[in-house]
Amino acid sequence: MQALPVVGDAVTPEPDLRLGDIPLRQEVELVSIDLPADLAEPLLERGVLPGCRICPVRSSPGGDPIVSIDGSLLALRRETAACLCVRLLSSLRDAG
Amino acid sequence: MSEKHPAGHGVAGAAVLAADEVVWLLVALVGSTIFRKTTLFNRLTGLRQKVANYPGVTVEKYVGLVRLPDGRDLDLVDLPGVHGFSARTLDERVTKDVLEGRVEGLRSPDAIVLIVDATRLENQLMLVEPVLELELPTLLVLNMADELAERGGTVDDAALAERLGVRIVRTSARTGEGVDGVVRYLAEVQPHAPGERPVERHLSNVRKGTPLPVVDAFAARRRLVKQVVEAADFVPPGPSPMTERLDSVFLHRFWGPLLFLGVVLLVFQSIFTWAVPLMDGIDWLIVTSGDWLAATLPPGWFRSLLVDGVWAGVGSVVIFLPQILILFLFLGILEDSGYMARAAVIADRSMYRVGLQGRAFLPLLSGYACAVPAILAARTIDDERDRLATIFVTPFMTCSARLPVYALLIAAFIPDEPLLGPFVGQRAGVMLGLYGLGIVAAVSTAWVLKRTLLRAKPTSFLMELPPYRIPSPRTLALRLLDRSRIFLRRAGRIIFAVAIVLWTLTQFPRTEVGPPEIEESALGRIGHVIEPVIEPLGFDWRIGVGLVTSLAAREVIVGTLGTIYGVETADEESVALQEILRRDLTTGSAIGLLVFFAFALQCMSTVAVMRRETAGWKWPALQFGVMLCLGYLGAFAAYRIFG
Repeated sequence: MQALPVVGDAVTPEPDLRLGDIPLRQEVELVSIDLPADLAEPLLERGVLPGCRICPVRSSPGGDPIVSIDGSLLALRRETAACLCVRLLSSLRDAG
Repeated sequence: MSEKHPAGHGVAGAAVLAADEVVWLLVALVGSTIFRKTTLFNRLTGLRQKVANYPGVTVEKYVGLVRLPDGRDLDLVDLPGVHGFSARTLDERVTKDVLEGRVEGLRSPDAIVLIVDATRLENQLMLVEPVLELELPTLLVLNMADELAERGGTVDDAALAERLGVRIVRTSARTGEGVDGVVRYLAEVQPHAPGERPVERHLSNVRKGTPLPVVDAFAARRRLVKQVVEAADFVPPGPSPMTERLDSVFLHRFWGPLLFLGVVLLVFQSIFTWAVPLMDGIDWLIVTSGDWLAATLPPGWFRSLLVDGVWAGVGSVVIFLPQILILFLFLGILEDSGYMARAAVIADRSMYRVGLQGRAFLPLLSGYACAVPAILAARTIDDERDRLATIFVTPFMTCSARLPVYALLIAAFIPDEPLLGPFVGQRAGVMLGLYGLGIVAAVSTAWVLKRTLLRAKPTSFLMELPPYRIPSPRTLALRLLDRSRIFLRRAGRIIFAVAIVLWTLTQFPRTEVGPPEIEESALGRIGHVIEPVIEPLGFDWRIGVGLVTSLAAREVIVGTLGTIYGVETADEESVALQEILRRDLTTGSAIGLLVFFAFALQCMSTVAVMRRETAGWKWPALQFGVMLCLGYLGAFAAYRIFG
């Protein structure tokens, strides 16, 4: 298994926006996963892939994000959320 | 297992097959973890299930018989749920091995029943694709189709079936509708050619030989899945309003943790108070039937072996059955209702601080009843180091086998006087202290492990939160039945053997008048041999014997001390035994003994299950050594402090 960081789009004109910075109820698109491949694979298996839509819906009592993805709820640690690079849908006018 | 499957691989298997023309078909039930396939499995097989342990792998497998309409039987194997096929967890490895036909003694599957959650079709198809690549006959079961419709989603089955090239059946998890469709499919399954090892199969997340890096391979599969769901006109369901409402309470910043504590306390309360009448009932049954046996059989060595050895020995374990069943009833309800996933999320932050993760919460809680099922429950932990650390510290949880020992020694040595006001007595205080000791030991051991042997970069914790559901009483009942079978079988085997060995050791060497005095017997001599080692703790040879015999199971020491001191029908409430103990032990050494039992791994079943779960002796040996040292040092310290 390759241990290189997984990088999606090479062209990222946006400021570096992470899932952890997104307020509740704002849907975003995943751009890339800034994790080694073996740590990224469980995310990929659960549908967290570059190009997918993620929406933070709730905070756990410990302050970790719970997101909605593909109609299911996924809890992750804020450390993981900080490694998910995202972009806003509305700013790109491609939310449709 | 193997004798039931004459159609093994190879020429011999083919010959047998041709001779009697009996083919046991094997169909594998596959699905993702979030979704409980067990309901469908239970509906298909009813009570005709058995738990089998595959050789080499450590996972208990569920195989059930399905009676087909034409009267034939078919084996259905319920594989552990998986997220994917990277084989990170033990469960994933087993599922992969069975599907690839690599498990010795188990026929490679003739067909696959793949069960998916229709409400999350897009996500679930990511799992479907690799299974379809195995090119085995496959039935795709769209479960929760009714819920999909309720929440405003749709899917065109016919288009989906055509696109994927498989048969499709809709079922409802709630009502069991659609199960007959699965049976109809099973009736048509044809055996794969006997003896022939079908195509070398490989199951993986990423197509074999793909030059793409893993993320691109996933993306490619994702694009394929997108086309499939579009072809099937899949409209995803809206969010479940019920789940949102419940989550806003159970995951509330303030109420969430409070309810979590409430649930944990409720589970404890049930284990320790509600189980008592049931345990008294079982105790009465064992004692009465033992007395009856003793009165019926002629006196002699056989009666002695049967009544004093086997009956009392097995009885001392069977008595824990109510506690274990109540615990599993609660865990079953918590899990099937969807709360367990939330509990894991709430527990994750604090677990993370000591180097564990949220999924460790379930095994650690189970550890308060018995470490063996708790260690098995840790299989769902996807990080191997987290799993090892969890099962390493699980035996520190105060399991119910420690309770008889605690109860006897506390009743004998701790005065029944108030400690803090009228409600917390000294006895309760000591009991709580022993529980606390276990937790402190577990937390610090985990902390040390994750900084030494199991050091790793922080891993991710991902937990899917299923929609809340009302648990099915039928599934719960079947699971309880199954748990009690496993427990009784284990208790039967191990305790039976130990009881016979112990009894034999008390009978030799023979003297002219019959069995020797206990001190002169083989058992007594063993006690004398280890006496010098335990003398610094204030224990004499009698306690030494108890420590040796309780290696089999902690509670055995109560019965052993009864035998040694010649107290008939010794249990933890025996006043006679308490009085004799007060003569032989000081308060300090009694507290030392309590501390020893809080720490030391006096449990063969745990060692055995650790060996299976870690595939070797290294971890159980280390665990045994560490816990023994802690027990010895703790007892020594207690003896010095309390005199």
